[in-house]
Amino acid sequence: MKITQLIVLLAGLLAFASSQAASPYAGQVKAGEVCAQCHGMKQPGVGSPFPPLAGRDANYLKTALKQYRDKTRVSELMNNIAGSLSDSDINDIVSYYSNVH
Amino acid sequence: MRTTIKRLNKSLLATSIAFLLASQTASAKSDDMNQVYQDNCASCHGADLGGYLAPALNSATLKGRSPTAMRTIVLAGSFDTLMPPFYGKLSDDDIRGVLKHLQNTPKQPNPAWTIDDTKKSIKVYVKDESTLPSKPTYSIDDMSNIIGVAARGKYGRGEGSKAVFINSKTHQKIGEVHTGTAAHIIEFNPANPRWAYVKTDTAEIFKVDLYSMQVVRSVKTGFNGPGIGISRDGKYIMAGSFVPHNATILNADTLEPLKTFELEGVDPDGKMVSSDSGMIVGTPYADIFAIALENAGQVWVVDLKEGFPVTKIEKVGRHLHDAFLTHGGKKLMIAAYDDNIVAAIDLEKREIIKKLDAGCVPHVGGGSAVVVDGRTLGFGTNFGDCDKTVVSVWDLDKMEVVKQIPVAGGTESPAAHANAPYVAVDIISKDRRARTVQLIDKKTLEVVKTLDVGGHAYFPEYSADGKFLYISAGYNGDEVVVYDSITLQKVASVPMESPAGIFSRGRVKYMTRGLSPDEIGQSK
Repeated sequence: MKITQLIVLLAGLLAFASSQAASPYAGQVKAGEVCAQCHGMKQPGVGSPFPPLAGRDANYLKTALKQYRDKTRVSELMNNIAGSLSDSDINDIVSYYSNVH
Repeated sequence: MRTTIKRLNKSLLATSIAFLLASQTASAKSDDMNQVYQDNCASCHGADLGGYLAPALNSATLKGRSPTAMRTIVLAGSFDTLMPPFYGKLSDDDIRGVLKHLQNTPKQPNPAWTIDDTKKSIKVYVKDESTLPSKPTYSIDDMSNIIGVAARGKYGRGEGSKAVFINSKTHQKIGEVHTGTAAHIIEFNPANPRWAYVKTDTAEIFKVDLYSMQVVRSVKTGFNGPGIGISRDGKYIMAGSFVPHNATILNADTLEPLKTFELEGVDPDGKMVSSDSGMIVGTPYADIFAIALENAGQVWVVDLKEGFPVTKIEKVGRHLHDAFLTHGGKKLMIAAYDDNIVAAIDLEKREIIKKLDAGCVPHVGGGSAVVVDGRTLGFGTNFGDCDKTVVSVWDLDKMEVVKQIPVAGGTESPAAHANAPYVAVDIISKDRRARTVQLIDKKTLEVVKTLDVGGHAYFPEYSADGKFLYISAGYNGDEVVVYDSITLQKVASVPMESPAGIFSRGRVKYMTRGLSPDEIGQSK
């Protein structure tokens, strides 16, 4: 293998790894923009009808967001909101909320 | 023929009855929808549909807007604003109904709120104040260490809306009072450390006993408007409204109204106008209140003596809003949105000293002034969205512009302290910059650091000793973040729902944030 090929391969691997690594910091920013209006950064507003997300199981959150995005779980509001999220947005948001205690 | 006429009459009668009934239900429906609006929307959008913190919603402003798009905003809230989601709070029928009602209804005339209405609105929660504890029921070295935060609550009303009080040495919450609608301003009684006054978005004023952390009385002085000031002897409060256009002097003890002023006058363009109340301030230098008439562009000085006589200072600027005091409280620096100036007023001579350039839509918030190398420098924020966003610095002794410091975006409130090296300004431009607060070095007058606070960060405030910088992470942040004022390291977080304004009780000592307590000494 030529050295340039190796570099390209490594760079590709790195890019792949970093695109997969969920960042709770990026998630906090995204959650503030997209989720917090209803679900709060830590908890929903007093007397609001929305379920809390903070501290919930990461797999549950990820599955639910993807279902809402793909409209396999139907909710007028959530289908609209989750529809704008990329896979990495979802990973970041999940990594933020599942780590808030 | 006769029967035909009869029949015709009958059917006419039936039609007109049906028509009457229909129009009655239509107007009943409109009344209901007005009630839904008043109960859920009016505290931000204005009881008269004319707007307040949030845009005006009436037949003119909503003309041509898609009901479907508006319904989505009401259901899900509007991102990066205070607009909450009403999904689950209001039925779909009510949402559609209230939108239809608003698209068909013009802005309402300024509703009346008389001195009698104010008198009747007084509520007494603690009848005998002598039963209250004689000292704080919690441990605190000095009442000046108290910091009050206006926690709006997500819906701007209900259980989430409170004034939260924190000990700024320990960063622990020491108490909170529920305010029904969003708390907006917190003022502290300069003469007696036990009393604070919290004004809400719906112009209710709560007299709070800080020793026992409870409300003892409340009064409503209008429908909205942030203006409230306290006299230096702690005996009088003056509160002003946007709706209706008046201001009222109250007994600070009983909250009984003493006199109401109708706010109107000739504006700088020579037109007689009725006016919103802008800032109201008591000053340590004299027994007076100064009040800004926003639309009339005038500042009135009210003497706290028999009859409360008024001296009017005209042509101060177009659309006045907020202000701060300097020189022992003898000078007032007041911002004029539409002239892009800050006017310096001599409260002793009751005249304009000078108008100074102040950037783009100057909003000085609580204002800040610091003494640097013998000069008293004033700092002014600006919340306009212009090409060049700056913080203005003025030499308050010479009354001239020293520098306009470029900052990352529009700004709303500067914080300074005699013991802290930086002046903090909140960037409020509506994108990720809104998460940040920038720090200006007092000596070099350059931005030296940007803090990412999270949420919609605003209203920085120093603790009374200057050691800590408190910042609201606002909506989408839901916490107040505390920094060491020198290292700028985060030292604490106090969770609360949608925090906004932060008010240190230390302000009564240093009059304007950043000045030394000795400054007030000059006035005595």
